[in-house]
Amino acid sequence: MTESSFILKHPLRVRVFHYILAASFLTLAVTGIMLYFKLLAEPAMNTAMQVHVVAGVVMTLDALAFFFLAFDRVVLFTKRTFTFSGNDIKWFAILGGYPQKILLHKKVDVPPMGKYNAGQKLFGICVLVGGTLLILSGWVLWALPHAVPHGTASMIGSIHLYASWVLILFLFVHLFLGIYMWDDFKAMFVDGRIPYEDAAEKAPLWVKNELQRLS
Amino acid sequence: MSKNDPSHEFMESPFSLSRREFIAIGGVIIALLALPAVWVRSALINRNHHIQARTKGLYRDDATAKIRLSHENQAVMRLYRDFAGKPLSPVSEELLHTKYINRMKALS
Repeated sequence: MTESSFILKHPLRVRVFHYILAASFLTLAVTGIMLYFKLLAEPAMNTAMQVHVVAGVVMTLDALAFFFLAFDRVVLFTKRTFTFSGNDIKWFAILGGYPQKILLHKKVDVPPMGKYNAGQKLFGICVLVGGTLLILSGWVLWALPHAVPHGTASMIGSIHLYASWVLILFLFVHLFLGIYMWDDFKAMFVDGRIPYEDAAEKAPLWVKNELQRLS
Repeated sequence: MSKNDPSHEFMESPFSLSRREFIAIGGVIIALLALPAVWVRSALINRNHHIQARTKGLYRDDATAKIRLSHENQAVMRLYRDFAGKPLSPVSEELLHTKYINRMKALS
């Protein structure tokens, strides 16, 4: 292969799903924090609640569309995120070599990873489980609050709160590492392509086992 | 992008996921998503369980009560004799009249 070889890492339907997910989740996170900490005056809080609901509906439609139109990608993502090996434990032991690289400017040997490294797998599980919980609990809290018993509504509210905190905190790490790995960032937000050399370095098992050359 | 798109030379093999894996993992995902739906449905059905239990208890008390007819109740007879005069009198109307509210929807 040549230096100009590229791999299609994120197909168009994945990127479109991610665009809408990113826009709606960021809106939900910002308005959710405003609502939780009561940062604004009452009229503005009402507006924040309305924006929160609209963004929630957008995220739900996005998730449903991807679920039904790209179920194979959902299954593939689930398989990858829930598949663990000893390499993942070794990866966590050195945190993927990122602290050494970022703080000490030192490169350490990282166990070979597939398309997603161990940290991305953990984030993927949080997104799958937490995102589903957030959507379901959000709909019950918004559309059916009086139809469920008080205790259940309270429990669903707690689930919504804890799931959102976990995902918001993870989002900071996701954003930072996403921008730090600039080729990956461009692949997800621009054209879906990643240089072969970059993929071979960060995801050697994926390149070795799951790719095919286009003739 | 199509397979022949010149912008990239490699893509994921469509056989990264076997048919067996697709059916197994897809089935688990759908089953897990169905669980909350069952749970929400159960919560909706049982949301007025405490009201239904209270209603059942009242009917049971009524069935075992010694005095089951209001016009045989000594306390009611004393109320009309000493205070309200007779049923539907102005005092009775003012104190005892109530408006009908259909609560059957809440109990269903």
